[in-house]
Amino acid sequence: MRIRPFDFKVATSLADALNQLDQAGSNARVLAGGTDLVLNMKKKNILPSTLISLHPIKNLEYVEEKNEMIHIGALAKHADLAIHPILEKYVSILCQAVGLIGSWQVRNIGTIGGNLCNASPAADAVPPLLALDAAVVIATLQGEKTVPINSFFCGPGQTVMKPNEILKEILIKKPLKPSAGCYLKLRRRKAVDISLAGVAFQAESDPSGQRIEQVKIALGGVAPTAIRVPDAENCLVGLSIEDAFQKIPMCADKAANAAKPIDDVRATADYKRTIVNVFVQRCAQHVLTTLKNYRGQS
Amino acid sequence: MNRLPIHLVVNKEDYHLFVKPNRVLLDVLREDLELTGTKEGCGLGKCGACTVLLNGRPVHACLTLALQVDGCEITTIEGIGGEKMHPLQEAFVDKGAIQCGFCTPGMINTAKALLDENANPSEEEIKQAIAGNLCRCTGYNKIVDAIHSCGCQSKKKKGGIK
Amino acid sequence: MSQLDIVGKSFPQIAAQEKATGKTKFVTDLVLPRMLYGRVLRSPYAHAKILSIDTARAAAMPGVKAVVTFQDTPKIKFGPRSEDWTIFAADKTRFYGDEVAAVAAVDADTAEEALELIRVEYEELPYVISPLDAMKSGAPLIHEDKPGNIAADFKIEAGDVDRALDDSYVVYEDHFYTNQVYQAYMEPMSTLADVDLSGRVTIWTGTQIPNMMRMTYAKALGMAPDNLRIVVPEYGGAFGAKMENNIHLVAAVLAQKSGRPVKLVNTRHEDFIAGNPRVPMHFDIKIGATQNGILTGKDVKVVGAAGARLVYSQVIVATACYRVDSLYRFKNVRARGYTVYTNTVPTACFRGFGNSQSTFVLESALDELATRLKMDPAELRIKNGMGSNETSVHGWKIGSSGLRECVTKASDAANWIQKKKDKTPFKGIGLSCCNHVSGNRPFAREFDGGSGIVRIGKDGRITVFHGESDMGQGQNTTFAQIVAERLGVTMDMVNVAQVDTDISPFGLGSFATRGTLMGGNGVLAAAKDAYEQMADIAADMLNVKPSDVQCRKGMFFHTDSPDTKISFQKVASEATIRHHGAPIVGTGFYQPPTELPDPETKKGNISPAYPFGCQIAEVEVDPDTGQVSVTNFVAAHDVGRAINPMATEGQIQGGIAQGLGWTLMENMAYENGKIINADFVDYIVPSSFDIPDITTILVEPIEPNGPYGAKGIGEPALNPTMAAITNAIYDATGVRIRELPVNPQKLLAKIQKTGKHTKR
Repeated sequence: MRIRPFDFKVATSLADALNQLDQAGSNARVLAGGTDLVLNMKKKNILPSTLISLHPIKNLEYVEEKNEMIHIGALAKHADLAIHPILEKYVSILCQAVGLIGSWQVRNIGTIGGNLCNASPAADAVPPLLALDAAVVIATLQGEKTVPINSFFCGPGQTVMKPNEILKEILIKKPLKPSAGCYLKLRRRKAVDISLAGVAFQAESDPSGQRIEQVKIALGGVAPTAIRVPDAENCLVGLSIEDAFQKIPMCADKAANAAKPIDDVRATADYKRTIVNVFVQRCAQHVLTTLKNYRGQS
Repeated sequence: MNRLPIHLVVNKEDYHLFVKPNRVLLDVLREDLELTGTKEGCGLGKCGACTVLLNGRPVHACLTLALQVDGCEITTIEGIGGEKMHPLQEAFVDKGAIQCGFCTPGMINTAKALLDENANPSEEEIKQAIAGNLCRCTGYNKIVDAIHSCGCQSKKKKGGIK
Repeated sequence: MSQLDIVGKSFPQIAAQEKATGKTKFVTDLVLPRMLYGRVLRSPYAHAKILSIDTARAAAMPGVKAVVTFQDTPKIKFGPRSEDWTIFAADKTRFYGDEVAAVAAVDADTAEEALELIRVEYEELPYVISPLDAMKSGAPLIHEDKPGNIAADFKIEAGDVDRALDDSYVVYEDHFYTNQVYQAYMEPMSTLADVDLSGRVTIWTGTQIPNMMRMTYAKALGMAPDNLRIVVPEYGGAFGAKMENNIHLVAAVLAQKSGRPVKLVNTRHEDFIAGNPRVPMHFDIKIGATQNGILTGKDVKVVGAAGARLVYSQVIVATACYRVDSLYRFKNVRARGYTVYTNTVPTACFRGFGNSQSTFVLESALDELATRLKMDPAELRIKNGMGSNETSVHGWKIGSSGLRECVTKASDAANWIQKKKDKTPFKGIGLSCCNHVSGNRPFAREFDGGSGIVRIGKDGRITVFHGESDMGQGQNTTFAQIVAERLGVTMDMVNVAQVDTDISPFGLGSFATRGTLMGGNGVLAAAKDAYEQMADIAADMLNVKPSDVQCRKGMFFHTDSPDTKISFQKVASEATIRHHGAPIVGTGFYQPPTELPDPETKKGNISPAYPFGCQIAEVEVDPDTGQVSVTNFVAAHDVGRAINPMATEGQIQGGIAQGLGWTLMENMAYENGKIINADFVDYIVPSSFDIPDITTILVEPIEPNGPYGAKGIGEPALNPTMAAITNAIYDATGVRIRELPVNPQKLLAKIQKTGKHTKR
């Protein structure tokens, strides 16, 4: 499969990459792992005139705790994130999700920044980040700007980033109260599949573990971009955990109603909506049970 | 589109090449270096036949531009084992884990990386690691057995595969 | 039979070390000096007239050495069994992917670019995808000389079906559909072609039928068959697909036009849209049984889609009509099979060859009958199963049959009775049997046996020549074991030559699960001949009579005084010297005791041996998503004798994996006349996680007609799998699956209708 000719440049730092990207014009792209970009170039979906490879840049692969924030460098690889102790401790829902991206081969070179910038409506990293109210830091020639993740995507394959901007970092506020999360993904076989529908469910209880204080549910693959479903979330917020269990079906119904999936060769819209309902219920069961088990474990 | 210089260390040997930007690592290995052990099964990173080790980690060589791995160490099937076969290769041979053999180089590369990271993987962990390597001949049973038989009885290293 | 040294042992595949170390040269690895890269321009429409083709810009492109169309071919109509092929489309294209033109260029990128410079003007025509639609009046006509798009119409009848059904205690009638699936071998179809100064064409390719293909291609190229040489390198799987395909002829034409070797490799996308996938079939079945569970009569109608031209679909539809009749003691059967042209990729052989489709249907039907009769499904099989030394309704002489043993052993291993009693919702167990052939006489009319050559070099190095095909299943290793056993040598002394039609015997090839039996008997005959020549010389060297010597583990010795001995190698050396350099060459052939069926009744024993099998699957169905998990699998197969148990198990496990994929996740989807999931993103094949542990049981009744008692395993490995799983789904949910693949959404809807409790 032929890749159409392009100019290849190498950036040695983020600043260098920004400069080169700006000079190369709007049909230039940065290259991280390449598992989406090279694929699209082979399929002739994307035909950049210039690629600026970020492979020499080694200082954007970090996962760090700074006070109440977790910082993830955009070039961190999925395979590393999936087992990172900081993420497993605070935001295991993200580990679950990136661990389900593609194959091990893809996860060894694919980056979280790449997953976000490719902006597939079904991208696995996105629903958990939405459910964690994460933000992204975008590097520009004029400095950095922070954008909440729920304003980052504007359509399938489209983000708010300009052609000469580069995603630098993902910011997640550490949950301070007891919290739990769950990510479920609909696949057509038991491993390695695109997400046909993804559900991320993250909740926090009060310190004593009696009441649900926060619920965040995000759906992937069932709308032009991943979405939060506040109507569904509000069903459970403020309730005791016991009461919340009772409201799970209603919560799931509302989530499914908010989904706007399409029919495609992978599954019908109806089925995707059905699965959203089932997965929200299953996630909720798992999360509420986990929170309940935290009780007395301050 | 001019050729650009690139330095690859492939199976511990240094190669200095001039390569066009639009060439993937798979083609450079097979054509320029004549290392035909790595196979193209689909060209789109979905079958794993092209799996090579990039700095020890399995990747799809068909989705990796050669220029983006400048300076990296690459291991192909030709670099697994030496004068004698690697225990994984012996296990694959002895346990009937090879039928047509087309998926085998990629499969062995992935398995090697698994064992390097986790010396005693469970069957579950093995299946997780090779989930991106399709085999159409064997039904995977004997492949998992072969890899499992190479696990040593030592304590499992921290980490594991996700 | 006295103790065997080599046969029956699990030797590693003889090519395995090379494969494990990456040294094997597959078809896609071959290079020749000055080789060009070929690519095919394929029709983007399901059905279209070609108004014009302009190749000028492509031909003028630097690096392009040949551009060809129909005009560059002998313009002969041909086909494996028909005459509805041309190498390139002449006046119209008949499927999305049809060959329109081709280029050969100095590198792959240039070839791909050059395709984009060929301008073709098409006029789209109405198209038809479903064979049922294609049969209707007013449907677009795909081949002008085939009214109603009927490529073939097959009938078979024995006994009095209507009366049998009338007399039945229970009759089950239903409609089933088996979809189009893709073999998904890991090495795409590929070929290398070269032409020498005399015009002789050599084709290197992975093919199951080097000689049959040569006959077909000779006609297409307008040359004598012996002017065509086919060489078969190691290749990456086939499962039935790698028979005739236009890519070989395109490569040959490009080589002729350019005067240079041409390598042509399908992209995976092309392999999907222009390979040779399974024949999709619609079945109507009506079947009856007595109150005791004896099958009475069966009436079947099959409609199969041929695609745009006939490869072997007409034979496959015929096979679907009646091969399965010899699984049970039917006396009254009737079938009608229509093979119908459609504007889809030409369909062809895929493991099972119609018998897999019809086994799914019949075994589902038997499951239904068992329910209605309140009988254990396993017992129903045992009651009706063909036994040893019986003759079936179509005159098939079943020599050995291990069918009943397969059922009982599989049932025991799977804990069938216990698990059947377990009524845990959404967990189920299902059973399915199968039969098959080991060779199919009517498929190649002139003969159906096998032959071999065994050459012994001066140092005792043995080379086996055969004309069948090792597509990875281990055929060469099997032949080496058979020859080593017969000669009395060790495995490391035996080598198997690459199949080269200039040198190898005229083998028919590997299909119809014939390789081990036909090819094996062929090389066995050759080994016997070689052995006798060697024994004569050994006896002379030892000063004894030939009848007094035997050879074991590479040593000739006197039977009664083993210290009187001489090594095989020394005998070989002496033989060469005595014959002034001529090697010992043993030749031989196997003539199977089969008959061509009566043209009217189709009655006649078509195979020397019939393998049987029984598979049991356990499933868990997710009652909220409709997704099905196969949690356990037991397979018992009557293989006569396993020449290599490890390889036989590998075949069974591989077949089951393919059957599982077909049942649960594989489907070639069409939209607007085109296959829209022509890649591994959306054509889903099983991953390592999808296949459970498979327990294999080898049942060995020792088939009198087989080499050392062996039958075959290739296709029986898959035949029962689909119904084993769907019968398990029925057990788990009460939902009868009538269409492959299982659609989770539809299954979910049915589960919810039955109102069973949902699990959370």
